Amino acid sequence: MASLAARRATDRAVKAISTGFAVFALFLLGWILWTLLSRGLPALGSNVFTQVTKPPGQGGGLLNAIVGSLIQIGIAMVIGGPIGIFCGTFLAENGRGTKIGAAARFVNDILLSAPSILVGLFIYTLLVVPFGGFSGWAGSLALAILVIPVIVRTTEDMLNLVPVGLREAAFALGAPQWKVVMFITWRAARAGIVTGVLLAIARAAGETAPLLFTSLGNNAMSTDLSKPMASLPIAIYQFAGSPFDDWVSLAWAGALLITVGVLVLNVASRLFLARGH
Amino acid sequence: MTSAVDPTFNLASAVGAKPDAPQAPAKIKVENLQFYYGSNHALRNINFEVPEKRVTAMIGPSGCGKSTLLRVFNRMFDLYPGQRAEGSVMFDGVNIVGKELDPTIVRTRIGMVFQKPTPFPMSIYDNIAFGVKLHERLSKSQMDERVEWCLRKAAIWDETKDRLHTSALGMSGGQQQRLCIARTIAVKPEVILLDEPTSALDPISTSKIEDLIDELKQDFTIVIVTHNMQQAARCADMTAFFYLGELIEVAPSDVIFTNPKEIKTRDYITGRFG
Repeated sequence: MASLAARRATDRAVKAISTGFAVFALFLLGWILWTLLSRGLPALGSNVFTQVTKPPGQGGGLLNAIVGSLIQIGIAMVIGGPIGIFCGTFLAENGRGTKIGAAARFVNDILLSAPSILVGLFIYTLLVVPFGGFSGWAGSLALAILVIPVIVRTTEDMLNLVPVGLREAAFALGAPQWKVVMFITWRAARAGIVTGVLLAIARAAGETAPLLFTSLGNNAMSTDLSKPMASLPIAIYQFAGSPFDDWVSLAWAGALLITVGVLVLNVASRLFLARGH
Repeated sequence: MTSAVDPTFNLASAVGAKPDAPQAPAKIKVENLQFYYGSNHALRNINFEVPEKRVTAMIGPSGCGKSTLLRVFNRMFDLYPGQRAEGSVMFDGVNIVGKELDPTIVRTRIGMVFQKPTPFPMSIYDNIAFGVKLHERLSKSQMDERVEWCLRKAAIWDETKDRLHTSALGMSGGQQQRLCIARTIAVKPEVILLDEPTSALDPISTSKIEDLIDELKQDFTIVIVTHNMQQAARCADMTAFFYLGELIEVAPSDVIFTNPKEIKTRDYITGRFG
């Protein structure tokens, strides 16, 4: 057995190493945020929100990309939200211990960790090639496929946290299962389910790869879902690599916007969870 | 009354039991009931009668099958695949463990209160309205009346009348349990099953619930599972002792606790095992 002094020394060493790495991780994060703020804030004028993309050297903003992102994320959530919530509900309420439940859960776990570019390629072969063009619909569907597994997982996890006794109490009053689910278990887990939906929105907001082969991007203002549609991640991808200074600074402004948006969603989801408990 | 365990008077009158206690007709009649958790034979050949508008206590060591039997009475076991019952549990001339009967109908007429208070995450008022709305369409004023009626029955009206629309989760454990009883009464069942209703409560809340049980037997048939033998002795007219999935003895409570027939019963109530 090691001496007391040796154990104390090991303790101090482990503490020092873990503190060191924690500080290093925070330093990296701080560095990223500082770069983002120092490059993005100066570029974040009112033009970003009011003007569409213009040719290099003529100013312009990100209005088309912001609108495109909002539309595509909105449609993705309208499609993926209910599918994800119902699928997660099935897994938690009916799928426990069944073969179909186990299979669905397994497939969902694979989808959850699948590279998002695969989802883009899938929609590309399924929609873009047969229908002859990139479109907002294709981008929305790609994002929907990305958010479904996130929502399924959080919904199932949150429903599993609802005590069995609460369900039994509702059944004991003579309630049919659909009423138990809709009025008791969903209600008990609503803060967690909303959190899952918010996190899924945050995930969709930052995805570039699935949009590259689907909605492509669009330098003009377009709300036509059958045409290529702009989005913030694609705009960042396109502008940051360009040789034009004003485009590069627009890319930083867009990056800052996404980061702030995701941050707001994360804070909101935490508030929801805190209020729910 | 010709079943194997006749709950009528012989023994009771011999020791001077309350004369009215065992005379009631059977509300639930269990005949040759077997119950299985998968391959585990949890209840063996149970024959047993629950007298109407009386309190019947089921006692016995953990795992003896008393809660299992309670959960058979309102088909709670149906929620779990792999659990099944054979034999018959007659309730108003119908075998309620028969597959053809919809369990929601059984549960409407045979209500249940659980060990841990289970208030729904909604207001006190809505906790009660939820169950009532499942079965009846009431106007606002009728619903108000029903809520007040069952809260009064559950002896919790005075504590809740000024906060009906606040969350039920903010109540104390004892209040929550009485709310759960009120919620069960509100759908007007004929039988109320209580599964260790006071084991999670403090002594004052416990005695309130016991007083309440005494009141409720005017209108309802009550079956209570309890680990607390004093509670069975205080509250119950009849007491049934279960051991290892079998019904060992059922008799008026004063007989069971003063002069049990079976040695196993005597050993259990004197604390030699359990």
